[in-house]
Order: sequence, then C-alpha cells, then structure tokens
Amino acid sequence: MLEKIRNYGILGVFGGLFLVLAISSPSFLSPQNGANIMDQSSILLIFAATTTLCVIAGIFDLSIAAVATASAIMTVNAINYFDSIFGVFIGIAFGAVLGLITGLAITSTNVNSFIGTLAAAFTYRGLGLILAGGGLVKISNPDTATQLLDITEGKYLGLKGAVWISVIFVVFIALLLSKTVFGKQVYAVGGNREAAFLAGIRTQRVLVTCYMISGIGAGVAGAIYAGRYGSGATNAYSDTFVFTAIAATVVGGVSIFGGSGAIWRGSMGVLTFALIGNGLNLLGVDTTYQLTILGLLIFAAVAADQLFRRTVKS
Amino acid sequence: MTPTPTVASIVGITKSYGPTKAVRQVTLDIPRGAIIGLVGENGAGKSTVAKMLAGVISPDSGQLIINGVERSFRGPYEAIRAGVAMMAQEITLVPDRTVEENVLLGNLPRKGVFPLKKKMRERYLHIMKESGFDLDPNLRVGSLRIADQQKVELMRALSQQAQLIIMDEPSAALTVDEVTKLHGSIRNLAAQGTSVLLVSHFLEEVLELTSLVAIMRDGELIRYTETKSETADSLVASMVGKSLSTEYGETKTAKAGPIKLSIQNVSTSDHLSDISFDIRGGEILGLAGLVGAGRTEIARAIYGVDRISAGEIVLEGRALKIRSPQQAIKLGIFMIPESRKDQGLVLTGSIGDNLLLASMSKLATFGITSSSKFSKVATKLSQAIDLRFGSLKDSASSLSGGNQQKILFGRVLELQPSVLIVDEPTRGVDIAAKRAIHALLEELAIKGTAILFISSEIEEVLGVCHRTIVIHKGRTHGEFVPPYNKTEVISAFFGQGEN
Repeated sequence: MLEKIRNYGILGVFGGLFLVLAISSPSFLSPQNGANIMDQSSILLIFAATTTLCVIAGIFDLSIAAVATASAIMTVNAINYFDSIFGVFIGIAFGAVLGLITGLAITSTNVNSFIGTLAAAFTYRGLGLILAGGGLVKISNPDTATQLLDITEGKYLGLKGAVWISVIFVVFIALLLSKTVFGKQVYAVGGNREAAFLAGIRTQRVLVTCYMISGIGAGVAGAIYAGRYGSGATNAYSDTFVFTAIAATVVGGVSIFGGSGAIWRGSMGVLTFALIGNGLNLLGVDTTYQLTILGLLIFAAVAADQLFRRTVKS
Repeated sequence: MTPTPTVASIVGITKSYGPTKAVRQVTLDIPRGAIIGLVGENGAGKSTVAKMLAGVISPDSGQLIINGVERSFRGPYEAIRAGVAMMAQEITLVPDRTVEENVLLGNLPRKGVFPLKKKMRERYLHIMKESGFDLDPNLRVGSLRIADQQKVELMRALSQQAQLIIMDEPSAALTVDEVTKLHGSIRNLAAQGTSVLLVSHFLEEVLELTSLVAIMRDGELIRYTETKSETADSLVASMVGKSLSTEYGETKTAKAGPIKLSIQNVSTSDHLSDISFDIRGGEILGLAGLVGAGRTEIARAIYGVDRISAGEIVLEGRALKIRSPQQAIKLGIFMIPESRKDQGLVLTGSIGDNLLLASMSKLATFGITSSSKFSKVATKLSQAIDLRFGSLKDSASSLSGGNQQKILFGRVLELQPSVLIVDEPTRGVDIAAKRAIHALLEELAIKGTAILFISSEIEEVLGVCHRTIVIHKGRTHGEFVPPYNKTEVISAFFGQGEN
C-alpha cells in the first residue's frame, strides 16, 4: 500500500488537481493556460530532470542554479566575442566543464556531495560575478539578440521555443537513463555503490558523468536565459530553483535514498507545483497558502518514502 | 548491599535466530574478581552469550542473575546500571574529546547543565587509581594508541561501577607489546575485585590469563573448568568434537590442470604478510581460518579492491598489477563478495538487472541496451541457476537469501571467468540452495575454472575443497589435502601445529 502511494501518489495528486481545476475554473482548460503552465515550468523541468538523475545516482547537485547563472553570462560573453549566435554552445559547454570539475573534485576527494556541491555553488556564483565584471552583460549586436529571442520566445505548434528545448532535453535524459548501459549503471551506483564497484562498474566515472550532465542542463538553462533577456545577470537564477527542483523530484516519487525513480517523476513533480500555483491563482487564493500547501505536499512525499523503506526492511 | 561471591549467573539460557539455535541451555557462574575465558569455533555461540549478558540482545528463555537479583535487560544501559559493561570489538569512544571526558561520559559530575571541572578531575583520578592505570586526563582520545584507548574504555566501565566487564576479542587489533599492556590491565582489574569475561580466539592468551575457562560448541557449553587442567590441545579437541558431519561425501580430488593463478609473497599494509599459494585450473582451493584471520583480505587483494604493498599476482604466467575489480573482470577474475546484501546485490534494482550487472556493457550495442535481448539473456541465466522468482522485473529484495546468492552465480555463468573467488557463498542460505551452489561450483571446476573458496564453516570447506590452506593472523599456516584430519586443520586455525 505504502509502496503504491509512493509510486503512484503523484499521478493521483496531479489527476485530482487537474479535475478539480477543470471543473471549477472555466479558463483552466484553455490552450493558452496550458501553454502558460508549460512556459512557467520550462526551466524547472530541466533542473528537475538533472536533479532526478543525480538523486537516482545517490548524489545531490546544489550548484545547478549557480552554474546556470555563470553559463548565462558566459553565453552572452561568447556571443559578443565571436559576434555569433553559436556562442550559446560555448555557454552550454561551459556548464558541462563546471559540472565536470565539480564531479572530479568531489569523487576524487570523497567529499559528501551535498557539501561539495554547496561549496561549488558559492564558487560558481563568484565566478559568474567575475565573468560579468560585477554586474550585467548584454548581447551587443541587436540582430543576434533578436535572433535568439525568436528562438526562445517564438511559438512552434503553440508552445514557445524555450519549452521545446526543455522538453527535448528532458526526453533526452529520460532515454539516457532508461535505454543505455550508463542509465543502468546510474541505478546500480545509486542503489549500492559498493556492489556496483565490485561488479566491475567504474562508479567514479558514472558519478562524474552525472555531475557533468547536470552541468549541461544548467548550461542549457543559462543559454535560454541569455536568449530570453538578451543579457546575462549575476542573479539570473536564484538558488530557490535548486530546492524547488529537489522538492519536485521527491514529490514525483523519486526515492531520496537513490537507486530508484524515473525522469518522468521529476517532471510530474514540476507540473504538479505549476498546477497548484496556476490553479490557486485562477481560483483567487492567496499565494501564502500556495507555499504552505507545497510544503505539506513535499513532507508527505518524503514521509511516504521513509515509511515505505521501513516496512520493506522489517 | 553486601557483595555476593558470584557476580553473575547465567541459568539455562537459550537464543535462536530463525531455525538455528545459536545458544542452547547454557549455565555459567562468574565468581567475583575472576578472569573467565570463553572459547569456541566460529559460530559456537560465544558472542551471543556475551551479548545477552551485556543486554545487547535478550535471551529467548533462561535467567540472568546479577548480584543475586534476576534481571532482564532492555538494552545495554540497563546492564551497565546493574554493573555489567561490555567492551565491544570496535572501540566506542569519542575521538575528539579528552581521556577524562570519555571516561566520565554518561555520568559527568554537574550542577544543572554545567559540568564541574574540579569534581571531574577528582573522580577521574580516583578511577585511575582504582584501575591501576596511568593515563594523562587531558590527552585527546583520538591521538592514543589502541591499547590506551582500550584502557579508557576499561576506566569508563569502572566509572560506571561495572563489576563484570565483558571483552570480545580485545587483543585482536593489538600489537604484541600492546597485548602485554592489555593483559596487565586485565589482571589489575581482577585484583581490584572486578570480574572479566574474556571472549578470545587466542588460546595462549586464555591459558595465561584466566582461572576458569568455558568451552562452547554448536551453541552448547561443553565444559567449564579450571584453566590449570587444560592445554591448547585439550581446548581444541573439545571445540571440534568428535562428530564429523555426514553432510558431505568423500571429497573428490581434482583433475588439476596447469597453474592458473599464483599468489607470490603478497603482503598488504595492514592485514596480510607474505602470502603464497597457487591455484590450478579445475581445482577448488579452500581458504580456512578464524573470522578476521585475513581470508577476505586475500580475496580483495587479488580482485584489485585492496592495494598490495609487496609481492606479485601471476595469472597464467603473467605478473599483474590489478587496480580495480573492473580490470580483474577483464582479465578473467571474478569475485562473489562476502556480504551479498551489502556488496553483492543492488537490492532496489530488478532481478534481471542484478543478473546482468557485471556483463551489461558486453550485451549492449554502442551503450544502448536492448530490453528484449537483456531479458532473453537474463531468462536463460535464471534457468541455468535454477532461480525461483516471480518476474525478472521484481526487485532483488523480494528473493530469499539462497536465491539472492544464486543471482551472483548467474553473473559467473555469464562472465565465464577463468578464476573465481567465492567468499562465504552459502552463509545464511537454506540446505537446498547450499547443495545447488556446491554442485554449481563443482561443475565450474570440471570445466576448468580455478576456484578460491572461502567459508567459515569448516565442514563445508573440507567437504567441498580439493585442497585447503589455513590462514592465521594474516599468514598461511599449513596446507591440507584429503582425507582431511579436521582436528589438525582446526588446530592450525588457532595457530597450533606446524607451520
């Protein structure tokens, strides 16, 4: 029973919310509202996907918002330096490199990932400040800025470009996790690192790759920011994104102990959060209650996971 | 309260774990101020008796009488309050605090929430005098040698007014000169009227220190006598017993092929010194010895988990430096680790994924897995090892111990290693699974696999292995071939007999 609640509770919550909102608010089902929900969720979908990957592998990456911020700035700098829209790829690669560095530093010293990536978060925020020269960087060529804006904000099949980029990224991570040897290794390392090691899996390499993918996700988020705003700011992404991504992962039913879960769960967590926000707004409920409800939901999800673990043990 | 001449009595105590009776009807009186030895083979029930006395586990039936009062402890803290303290195999001190604080931990003299510094020192000095030790109260415990840390533990037991201190293998981690110091400490305590129950594998230690010795075998107390009347040989003879198990038939001799793996003068920095032996293709070589003798460490050194500080591992004539299990597997060496739950299986993972854990890269194309191919191979493997399960998608935790162990053997069948190391492959599995695992090992040997077999169950080693090497304190201590003389082999466990 508890296992069922943990595994499928998220679908129940999401479906229930959806039904209630569909019945009580006529504007909820409009395509425009759907597009809005997706638009608001796009960045979190990316963060939740890489966070889910990391949590399944048994690690946390608290540095993603800082990496995304630094990547946004790097993207703008690269675009200006080469005067080319392809600077976005340098911005994304920059995120990958930061993730790689974090991963190598943490796995080679055996530092706890929670603390290690917290330190990385501070470091990369500082790095962002340095790269931005202390403030804001702008894309200097207005044509390039417009081009990028068209990509991220232009609509394709009713959804913005940024949403499509997020969805493609999430699907890519989901396939990586479910269809490749690497994905299976991630589950094994998160489930029992020693057993995986003794079975011949290069556990360190698997973990470093997870940190790197996490960095790539943050890089993509950074590039989207640069596209949307034509600039890179040192406060592009606050660390609230990190905690919301972890919360969404947990609410989606991914075990915080590692070794189990799936990418769609993180996505469902994000969409559930968005529904709560969106629905309560449509119904005219004060935002204060939103946070309280979110908090209780997160706690319920973690408690279900913990209780499930305990019953399995005994 | 006037002290009774007997500090503690165990009366008809019994403890079962599932179907196995760990301790049956043991009765034992511990006189005040005496040092008592408790000896027996692996799994004889010594530690279980000690733990019941210390309140760590509770007996199924029988009585514990401490200072003339019948007690049933709900935890170690109640035993401590009644005057029984246990020094476990691992030290349980707070390394970053001082000697004084560690000794007085749990009953600091205080006023409200504030500790009283002067009173603390007074009490510490009093305990130190009582114990006969000499240790600076201001030293950080983490900076002390293990023998001194044990002193701190002993003083803590005294500060808790322990009248009986139980020590489980206290000298296992000590150097020779630290052992001498510990023995001095133990004698001191006894001279001050504290009783000591010494659980030990080291027979010389027991013969030298104790006045009474209790010998256990298969959960029963065989004899409880004056140590004076015993010798190392008489102790071993009682530990082994006469009943040779009929579970195993005549051990077959191997059709041994050429030497596959040669271990040459291998040492590691902490556990092994100068280990040498060869395994031939088609041979099952047993590594026997006491728990902690270094058998697992040998396996881990070969498999590239632990670093080798000296010596060589030669596979089919080629000297190797194996740095990781991954490399060992590539070279054709595979290990089934000691603890299937902690080191073998990913319990949250599916049965299918666990079967293929070590070989999935081989089965994939460019890193992409094909679920139909995977399930085909996994199904084939599960049939080959006669796995009893619901669905390959079920989690590995849903299986019984025997079936979980079979999964690990499934990996062997898929990898086809030329050298297989199995560490305690039948621990905690039922008889049927045990037989199946033995049959599988024999089959692998016939196909030419060189097998290194580690087990704490002596009957199993002697029943399965074509040749047996005994490890004692990190060294090889004798080699035996069928027909085995069990008493001789077990004597070697305890460091007796010729090297």
